[in-house]
Amino acid sequence: MPTQILQIAFIQKYLCKMFTLQTWIVQALFIFLTTESIGELIVPCAHIHPESSVVQLGSNFTAVCVLKEKCMDDYHVTANDIFWKTGRVPVPYEQYSVINRTASSVTFPNITLINALLTCNIRMFGQINRSVYGIRIISGLPPEKPKNLSCIVNEGKKMMCQWDPGRETYLETNYTLKSEWATEKFDDCKAKRDTPTSCTVDYPPVYFVNIEVWVEAENALGKVTSDHINFDPVDKVKLNPPHILSVNSSKELSSILKLTWTDSRFKSFITLKYDIQYRTKDASTWNQVPPEDTSSTRSSFTVQDLKPFTEYVFRIRCMKEDGKGYWSDWSEEASGITYEDRPSKAPNFWYKIEPSHAHGTRSIQLKWKTLPPFEANGKILDYEVTLTKWKSHSQNYTVKDTKLTVNLTNDRYVATLTARNLVGKSDASVLTIPAWDFQATHPITDLKAFPKDNVLWVEWTAPNESVNRYILEWCVLSDKSPCIPDWQQEDGTVHRTYLRAPSRGPTVRTKKVGKNEAVLEWDHLPIDVQNGFIRNYTIFYRTVIGNEIAVNVDSSHTEYTLSSLTSDTLYMVRMAAYTDEGGKDGPEFTFTTPKFAQGEIEAIVVPVCLAFLLTTLLGVLFCFNKRDLIKKHIWPNVPDPSKSHIAQWSPHTPPRHFNSKDQMYPDGNFTDVSVVEIEANDKKPFPEDLKSLDLFKKEKVNTEGHSSGIGGSSCMSSSRPSISSSDENESAQNTSSTVQYSTVVHSGYRHQVPSVQVFSRSESTQPLLDSEERPEDLQLVDNVDGSDGILPRQRYFKQNCSQHETSPDISHFERSQQVSSVNEEDFVRLKQQQISDHISQPYGSGKMKMFQEVPAVDAFGPGIEGQVERFETVGMEDAVDEGMPKSYLPQTVRRGGYMPQ
Amino acid sequence: MRAQRMQRTLLSLVLRLLLLCTVATGKCSGKYHELLLQLQRQADLMQDPSTLLDPYIHLQGLHSPVLQEHCRERPGDFPSEDALWRLSRQDFLQTLNTTLGLILRMLSALQQDLPEAAHQQAEMNVRGFGNNIHCMAQLLRGSSDPKAAEPTQPGPGPTPLPPTPPSSTFQRKLRNCGFLRGYHRFMRTAGQVLRGWGERQGRSRRHSPCRALKRGARRTRPFPEIRRLAPRGQPPR
Repeated sequence: MPTQILQIAFIQKYLCKMFTLQTWIVQALFIFLTTESIGELIVPCAHIHPESSVVQLGSNFTAVCVLKEKCMDDYHVTANDIFWKTGRVPVPYEQYSVINRTASSVTFPNITLINALLTCNIRMFGQINRSVYGIRIISGLPPEKPKNLSCIVNEGKKMMCQWDPGRETYLETNYTLKSEWATEKFDDCKAKRDTPTSCTVDYPPVYFVNIEVWVEAENALGKVTSDHINFDPVDKVKLNPPHILSVNSSKELSSILKLTWTDSRFKSFITLKYDIQYRTKDASTWNQVPPEDTSSTRSSFTVQDLKPFTEYVFRIRCMKEDGKGYWSDWSEEASGITYEDRPSKAPNFWYKIEPSHAHGTRSIQLKWKTLPPFEANGKILDYEVTLTKWKSHSQNYTVKDTKLTVNLTNDRYVATLTARNLVGKSDASVLTIPAWDFQATHPITDLKAFPKDNVLWVEWTAPNESVNRYILEWCVLSDKSPCIPDWQQEDGTVHRTYLRAPSRGPTVRTKKVGKNEAVLEWDHLPIDVQNGFIRNYTIFYRTVIGNEIAVNVDSSHTEYTLSSLTSDTLYMVRMAAYTDEGGKDGPEFTFTTPKFAQGEIEAIVVPVCLAFLLTTLLGVLFCFNKRDLIKKHIWPNVPDPSKSHIAQWSPHTPPRHFNSKDQMYPDGNFTDVSVVEIEANDKKPFPEDLKSLDLFKKEKVNTEGHSSGIGGSSCMSSSRPSISSSDENESAQNTSSTVQYSTVVHSGYRHQVPSVQVFSRSESTQPLLDSEERPEDLQLVDNVDGSDGILPRQRYFKQNCSQHETSPDISHFERSQQVSSVNEEDFVRLKQQQISDHISQPYGSGKMKMFQEVPAVDAFGPGIEGQVERFETVGMEDAVDEGMPKSYLPQTVRRGGYMPQ
Repeated sequence: MRAQRMQRTLLSLVLRLLLLCTVATGKCSGKYHELLLQLQRQADLMQDPSTLLDPYIHLQGLHSPVLQEHCRERPGDFPSEDALWRLSRQDFLQTLNTTLGLILRMLSALQQDLPEAAHQQAEMNVRGFGNNIHCMAQLLRGSSDPKAAEPTQPGPGPTPLPPTPPSSTFQRKLRNCGFLRGYHRFMRTAGQVLRGWGERQGRSRRHSPCRALKRGARRTRPFPEIRRLAPRGQPPR
């Protein structure tokens, strides 16, 4: 084999002298790879020690290539012809060392990061280079001792340990977590490749049993073990977070909320401590319950010093009381609202005297500021105003608005104002309304206003006398809007202030309105109307009939979501902006929540439509699949007698027609076909011609009606062609010499006994068959005599159409059908109908008896036959036209030829 | 030579008990109180019916009060409370150990009848309890020699034996139910006995190996096992 390779090399040499050195390298590499891939088939010319090398970074590495004698002989090479390559790069000769005739070594000092193929090559015949062996050199570092081994046991889960693996090894390094008790060892936990710094053990944690854990790190350059840690898994547990059950307020104390929760079942075995945090709903920073208050196992805690009527949000976490282990995650947040407290401050109160036309009275408008939420401490239900004239009774007013206009006399009045919420009343604001002739004797002086720090300051010189309080009034001077006076109250000790209350409230609008929620948005108040720092907004919203609900919103927000709204309801909402000094309401805005949420209608309608569509589709598919069955039941394939043929039939071979039937109507629609030959005798008027005439007239209408039915009147409908044909009396009479009978018996429709199932036709001139004249056959009809009018009729027809009751009944019916369909105007035909009048009785219950009273022999007398012959001859005109001989051979009744009328 | 070795061992033991009252016993906690507390809490944990009996009843459909009436511990399955109280500590540990072996075998038989997680956790708890019994016995003997604590290795004991399987499946269910009920009762009683150890320690510090040794090895040792085993000699650790 080496010889062959050599030959290949030679051929290449002589054919491709122009190839560059690179080409030779490629060829040599090809040979080398071929040698590699063929494996044992090709014996390599040399081998390298060591076979594979993982070299520690920074160390020296020496490889020795030893040539085999055979190769040396074949290629005339020695160790001097060996040269080394890393990848495609030749190693400098300075690093070579020829050990002996067959071996050459190469040394890499202070090896760097490398992952390369080191090949031993020979130069044959002084110019052909060939790789004869190769090894892969990988450099890396041994694993460092894993540090910071720590474990955590998430409650309900298995223990997970993690560690710091130390420096990068650049090698495949396996980390194995080992663990054991004093009495047994557990299976190793091998870290996954993608998470080499942690491992989760397979066994469930066993609390209160010390376990020893350590990590072994191993790669090709070494194995190292971390420090062992010994611990009780319960000291590494991270409990599941508590679940807050409720946040309850207290009617007795408006500054507390009681928090109750459930937490880990560990509290049965170990003492827990808790971390409880809370904040107002709009705040972003959490307040901390002092840890010492929650340092023992408990399931409730009452948070104190809260603001009344304020919504607070709570969260809680827990851990072992001794601090070993980990804090649980925070629980889900839960919120509660403190109970209301009486308003903590009296509203600012002022008045304005309005001109009055009445003599001796004044119109006084009392006005006051709404209390900000932190002073209202609840929902202000109303304000109570008391006006007291000197030495007189007081007048009390209860007002929901923030102003009250009253007509007062010119006397001096004292007005008091209290705000009331669910819990109580505020202190009273007292205001003296001087008499009309009161003259202020100590006005302030040097009133001036100036802007500073983006607010408008007002300064004045106080009078010499003591002042209880000051009221500042102002209005915005604008070309666009009238001067709407605003005011604010100042303490009697100050003589400089700035206009603090916003001059107008924010305008709220809806951003998105859902079925049960609405997103409100508003713009920040312009700085010139803030008149101070906006501390918070309050959103008031109510339904037409409901109470007003107030929600405080942080001043940094510009939108808020009202939740728990009622669908399809009109809401009125307004906002107030509050500074430290007071608030101002904005305009009221109304919106209506929709009846259905977005997509709700679609969610209902679409599935219903799809279901309907699917049902319809399935129905169509079902009908399509069962079309034969449906057609059979609803639209049976009823042969059209007008298109029927009496096949060639010989009376001498009566059994044949049964065979023919079987062949022709395998579907069983026709259960019997027979041909009856009747000898046509002289026409005799029926003795009861006149008697039956009237009955016939009545019956005709009914018969025609029946004949239009679908399928169910197959026998009856067969009379129609006969009747239409029978209009041609001549042809009827021409064929009076013979009467041919054939019987078509239908199997029925929908398990019902067909009302008419017989179609008979005869060209026979022979008398009726014996069977038709047999009184016992007719006796079947007689037997129903005792029954009511309908049942006998049905039975009669059933017998007619049954396989065993053939000829006699068929002839009865055929004749009745023909007669019943005859045109009244044709007197001749009416006369003929006298015969069949008796037979038509079955159609009317009242005539049943009459029919039954007719003797069978009379009913099938020669006169009848003559009449029938005339009709049937016409009905058989097809056969006649085709020149068919009036033989006794059965006529072919084609399937489907008997169409519903 | 032998005398020197014995002296060295004794000295080592005394030093260990003096220093944090710790006896290095391999993977065991060398702290008596810590170990006792662990045993008590383990017993508390394992006496909880929700860990084993309730899952069994739930899985086997024995919720009915009538059936629960028949789910009773059979006398003889587990040592009675009185018997446990009368036992010495070593004998108590020995009995616990033997009973745990029985429970382990029973749990193995019930593997298919219990939720996998509950079964696995219960089995691990029993094994862990056995581990602590081993450690406690070793601590009481004052020896880290595994052979000294060999009797406390969880394993089959002479008595009692697992109940023989009753004839019908239903009877077997009730029998197993009664066994599990007995198991929880036994662990509850064991916990009480172990708490009694702590209380006696609290009332009389004479039983504390730490106190006893701190007062001096010359005085009466609270645990005869320590005195008895000490001469066996242990290499200082």
